[in-house]
Amino acid sequence: MLEHLFNPESISVVGASSDPRKIGHAVLENLVLQGYGGRIYPVNPASSEIMGLKCYPSLEAIPSRVDLAVITLPAKQSVDLLEQCVKKKIPYAVIVAGGFSEAGEEGRVLETRLREIIKGTGTRVIGPNTVGVLFPYTGVNTALTPHDRLFFPEKGEVGFISQSGALGLLVMDSITEYRMGISGFINIGNRADIAETDSLRLFEADPNTKSIVMYLESVSDGEQFFKTVKEVNRKKPVIILKTGRSLESTRAAASHTGAMASNDRVFSGIMRQAGITRAYDETELLDFGKALAYQRPPPGKRVAVITTAGGVGVLTTDLLTSPDNHGRLEMASFNDEETREMRKFVLPFASVANPIDLTADGSTEAYGKILDVLVRSDSVDAIIAYALPQTPKINMDIVGTLKLAASSKPVVAGAIGNRLSKVMLGELEAARIPAFPSVSRTVGAMKVLCEYGEYLRRHRND
Amino acid sequence: MTDSGTEPQKVMVEKQAKDLLSNHGISVPRSVLSKDLPASIRLKFPVVLKVSDERILHKTDVGGVILNIGTQEALEREFISMKSRFPDSEYLIEEMLPSGIEYIIGVTRDRDFGQVIMLGSGGIFTELYGDVTFRKIPIFKEDAEEMITGIASGRFCQGFRGKKVDCNALADLLIKISALLESGSYPIESMDLNPVIALEKGVVVADAKIILRGKS
Repeated sequence: MLEHLFNPESISVVGASSDPRKIGHAVLENLVLQGYGGRIYPVNPASSEIMGLKCYPSLEAIPSRVDLAVITLPAKQSVDLLEQCVKKKIPYAVIVAGGFSEAGEEGRVLETRLREIIKGTGTRVIGPNTVGVLFPYTGVNTALTPHDRLFFPEKGEVGFISQSGALGLLVMDSITEYRMGISGFINIGNRADIAETDSLRLFEADPNTKSIVMYLESVSDGEQFFKTVKEVNRKKPVIILKTGRSLESTRAAASHTGAMASNDRVFSGIMRQAGITRAYDETELLDFGKALAYQRPPPGKRVAVITTAGGVGVLTTDLLTSPDNHGRLEMASFNDEETREMRKFVLPFASVANPIDLTADGSTEAYGKILDVLVRSDSVDAIIAYALPQTPKINMDIVGTLKLAASSKPVVAGAIGNRLSKVMLGELEAARIPAFPSVSRTVGAMKVLCEYGEYLRRHRND
Repeated sequence: MTDSGTEPQKVMVEKQAKDLLSNHGISVPRSVLSKDLPASIRLKFPVVLKVSDERILHKTDVGGVILNIGTQEALEREFISMKSRFPDSEYLIEEMLPSGIEYIIGVTRDRDFGQVIMLGSGGIFTELYGDVTFRKIPIFKEDAEEMITGIASGRFCQGFRGKKVDCNALADLLIKISALLESGSYPIESMDLNPVIALEKGVVVADAKIILRGKS
C-alpha cells in the first residue's frame, strides 16, 4: 500500500502540458527534474509528445499499470477522471484542483461525489486542493510550482505532513539553506480521503522516516487522531504546529468548565497527554523534527554546555534554565576529578564549570578531550556544543569530534554567524548532528529532546 | 467548542450529585436534605444552609447560600428567612468545611475530542489567569500528576508559604472522576466540582453541579 505512493513504478500526469504557464507542465517537469526513475505517462488528448515523453489521449489508453495518477485538471473534470482511475485500479490519485469544500456549496457537493466514487474501491485520493507529494528517495515530486522558483529538500529522515500546501513548499525551500532533507512530504489539502491519521500511518511504516512533523489547522476525527498520534509518537516522535490558537470557545457554555474550554487549551492538554512535541512556528517545527530524528532522547535533564565564546555560554544557561513553552532543564555539575581533568586542556582563566568556556584560545583537539570527559561523566545526560569556526584554532574537524561524542550521548550543536558558520552547519547536517544558527534555537531543540525522553520514561506503562 | 447544546439535558440537584460522588468513594461534606427544619440535626456546627432546587442554577447569585452558621438557634433563624425567599424549594444543610486550597475540577464535551476533564486553580484565578489544564477521558495516574504540576496551584503539593495540600488525594479524585465517566453508568454530560477543597490530608468536594443527558 505504502509502496505505490512512496515508490510508484509508474506515474501518470493527467492534463500534462507543454505550455509552461500550465500546472500540468510544472508537475511533469518537477517529476522529470527530480530524477524520478519510474515510467512517466503524460495524458493529454491534444498532444502526442511532451518533454520527449509519449503522450496518451486517456488513462485507459496507457498500455500498462499506473501506480499514481496526478490530476491537474479543473475540479469538475478531476472528479470525472477519478472514475477512470477506479476503473484502471490505480492505487493513488493526487487531485490538485481547488474549488471543492473550501469554496462553498457547489464544491461541497463535488467533494461528496468524489468520496462516493472511491468508496469501497482500491483507489485512495490525496487532496483535493493540494500541491501533492514529494518523496526525495524515489524522485516523486508532484509540486505545482516551477522548478526554477524554489529548491526541494534532499533525502532525509523527517516526514512532513501539511494541511497547507503553500506553507509546506515555503518551509521546504527554507530548510535547503542548510542542506536539511526530508523523507517525504504529503500535503493533505482538503483531506477528502487521506487525512492526517492515514498520513501518520504511512510515515510510521516508512523505513526512512525517523520523526514526523505536522502542520495542522484543524483535526478531522479527534478521537481517532488522539489514539493514532499517541501510538505513533512512541515509535517515531511526532511534532505538531497547530494554528487557530486564538479561537475561543464561541458558544455560551452551560458550565464553568465549558467556558474555560477554549480550543487551544483542550488541544494543548490532549497533546501533552499523548506526549506530542508542540511547535509554535514553522521554524520550530522543522528544528524539532530534525533534533528528534537525529538524536535519541537523553535519559535525564542535566545538560553540559561547551563553547569557545563566553557570552554564548551565559545566554545558553539563561534560556536553558528558564521556563517557557518547552519547559526548563538543569545545568549539569561536574565532580572534582572531572574538573581537574578538564583543567589540563584549557588556559588558566578559562572556565571548566558549566558552561565550559574554552575561550578564543580553544582548539579542536582540546574541545575533543573535554567532550570525552563529558561523555564519560555520570552527571551529564546531554551536551550542547557550540561549533564556532570564527577563531583560528577551531576547524572543520570538530564535526568528526562531535559525531564521535554523539555516538555515546545526545548532542545538539549551535553555529552562529555567516561565512564559515554556514559551511559548518552544512557539515553538521551531513553528519546528522542537529545544529542551529542561533542560541535560542539550539536550546529549544535540546529542551524538546529532553521533554520527549521524560514523557517516554513517565508513561512507560500506559 | 464544548457543551453540545443539541441534546436535552437535566441538572441533578446538589444533594443527588453529591450522593452520586459519595457512592463512588469521593469525599463530600456530611449533609441533610429537608423541606422543613428538623428539630435537631446530627451535624457538626458550623453548618452551611443552601437552597436545593433544580430551577436555581446559581444559588449564590440569588442569596441561596448562607455560610458559617454556628448554632441551632442561628440555623432556625436562617431557615425561616430562606424559606420565605424560596417557599417551594427544599433546603440542604451541610457541615462547613475547614479552609484549604481551592481547586476546580470539571468535565465538558469537546467538539473534536469528546469528553475532557479539567483541573484548575480555584476561585477567581481560574478565569483571571486561565490557570487550567485539560485531558481526554480516560486519564491514568501519570496524567493526573501532570495535570497537577501543570497548573500554578500545583505548587502547594510541595508546600508553599506554609500551606501544603494532599496531592495524592487530588490525583486520586481526578482518576475517580475519569473512571466514573468512563464507566458510562450515568449519562453524565458535564460537571463542575467548584470548589474542591484540598486539605493537608484529603480533598473534599464542597459544591457539585452535574448535568445529565436526557429529558428534563
